[in-house]
Amino acid sequence: MDLAEVEYDGGARLTCPGDYITSSQAFMRGHGTYVENDQVIASVAGTVERVNKLVTVRAIRTRYSPEVGDLVVGRITEVQPKRWKVDANSRQDAVLMLSSVNLPGGVQRRKLESDELQMRTFFEEGDLLVAEVQAFFSDGAMSLHTRSLKYGKLRNGQLIAVPPILVRRLKSHFITLPCGVDLILGLNGYIWVSKHVKDNDQEGEEGFDAEAVYSSQNDDIDEATRSAISSVTNIIRVLAAHFVPLTDAILLEAYAWVMDQEIGTKDILQEETSDFLVAALTSSRE
Amino acid sequence: MASISLSKSEKSYIQTSLLSTPPLRGDGRSLLDYRTIALETGIAPLANGSARLNIGKPTHEGGGGTEVLGAVKLEVEDVENGDGVDGGRIVCSVSCSPAAYPHLSSNALDDLSYDMTTLLNQTLSHPSLHPPNLCILPKKKSWCLNLDVIVLSDSGNVYDALFMAARAALWDTKVPITRAVEYQAKRGGKNPQENTDVDMDTETEQQSGFDTRHISRAVDFELPDYWDEGETLAGQDLWPVCVTLNIMPPTYYLDATPQEEASTPLRLLLAMSFPKSASSRLQATRLLGPGEIELSQIKRLIQEGEKHGRELYSALEAKLREEDVRRNQKARDKFVLR
Repeated sequence: MDLAEVEYDGGARLTCPGDYITSSQAFMRGHGTYVENDQVIASVAGTVERVNKLVTVRAIRTRYSPEVGDLVVGRITEVQPKRWKVDANSRQDAVLMLSSVNLPGGVQRRKLESDELQMRTFFEEGDLLVAEVQAFFSDGAMSLHTRSLKYGKLRNGQLIAVPPILVRRLKSHFITLPCGVDLILGLNGYIWVSKHVKDNDQEGEEGFDAEAVYSSQNDDIDEATRSAISSVTNIIRVLAAHFVPLTDAILLEAYAWVMDQEIGTKDILQEETSDFLVAALTSSRE
Repeated sequence: MASISLSKSEKSYIQTSLLSTPPLRGDGRSLLDYRTIALETGIAPLANGSARLNIGKPTHEGGGGTEVLGAVKLEVEDVENGDGVDGGRIVCSVSCSPAAYPHLSSNALDDLSYDMTTLLNQTLSHPSLHPPNLCILPKKKSWCLNLDVIVLSDSGNVYDALFMAARAALWDTKVPITRAVEYQAKRGGKNPQENTDVDMDTETEQQSGFDTRHISRAVDFELPDYWDEGETLAGQDLWPVCVTLNIMPPTYYLDATPQEEASTPLRLLLAMSFPKSASSRLQATRLLGPGEIELSQIKRLIQEGEKHGRELYSALEAKLREEDVRRNQKARDKFVLR
């Protein structure tokens, strides 16, 4: 059995459930595979990966598997002593420690007991936040941090969830579309679509404004922005349904195409329109 | 109530969008727009009638949308020994799949299915909707109609889906044709022991012209050979549809998504039936949620709801007739191939 069976040169090999991968005499079965009649067989649809003699299949439709430094969008599920539990579409809830958030009144301030008592004034159950994966605990749960002014509570928009595999690693996961819409592409498949905030509105390191950062109050959003947010959400829905990986370039192009064809917000979701949209995007890419 | 968790800002974003002029929803629909509804009847071969209904399934996706499955099974019940009710009865039950509500504990899930069961059962087993052909032998045997509905996934507006699936399954139901069977003593057989030797006869004989007492002596029934599975359940056009008005004072909207449901204080369910010959009837109402509303508003909402209900009813009826045609065609093709 040679290795060519497991790995093609260039791209990864794709499997369907039940596909023969290799012989079990030469290789060990890993996740996403099983052994039958001395053969290693895929149990999920995905890409074949090999580490020495261990063959695994990484499933395409799966939960998010975090890596340090990833940008994620999460939702608070529980407030616990000195920590928040965050749903980040992973196998386990993520943890956000009180010590890894910026607190009002100076970035370098020490944590006090009073901070512990008013944790719900920062984040409460149901709140959405954007954060970065900081480290892993021994049980594999991820620890998040929001120690940057880019991170923190989310408002002025709506959330949409897509399969995590569709969000590729990009130079920046904060995208601004020309229609006055900001996008945060969480690597865990949660995408936040919101009203654009001007850069100079974001407070500098000195003037860290706790009121603004931990506020749940929406700004006034005009009708055009609202309808743009809905349009962008629908475009993402269509692209996710067609399994198109989301990048800033694709999203910009898709939005331009929709505006160009003067398609109404709710018509984007129609089958015919969505097929045209995806066809237009993929043809220009080839 | 089953609701997903939502942050304060999301909630207020949805609320202000709904109340702004012109109102706008997360997916660009207007307030009175429904998502796409998909319906298929006759999906369970062993049931007497069945339907699968999906609201808002995204195109090209395997899952998604509110998916509800309804199936009718008829069961013979003995009236004499107290199992059944003379003239038949209707029993509905709704079960929610845990996959539809992953955030609910099993107790909460049971509560939710119980709520839905109560609503569906109280509405559909009401005497005003009782179909006359559930009786097999008067005072002896009758059909018990079991309607089981399963909620496979919930992306909002589950009550409308429940009633539509129930209506489609009942529409699809075929009641087997039965023929009464009588046992008669052999004529001339005087001996008591010969009386036990009975003869099956399906005809009623020796009725004197003076005998005005109509005593049916039928004790059992048989299923005659018939070209179809049976006759349709009577009262096809009576089965109600439900319209959920999500009330966000001063306005309301239809077909809410789970996010919208979570940010709406009050929901008004109206189950209405639209008989061909008579005026429309309101079969059931429910107010769900912690919000409150003025009595004067309810009247207006019911009037509006009737309009939407009628639209939904006629659209559903058209689709059901289309399904009947499609399935007859399929049956004919199958016959030709044989």
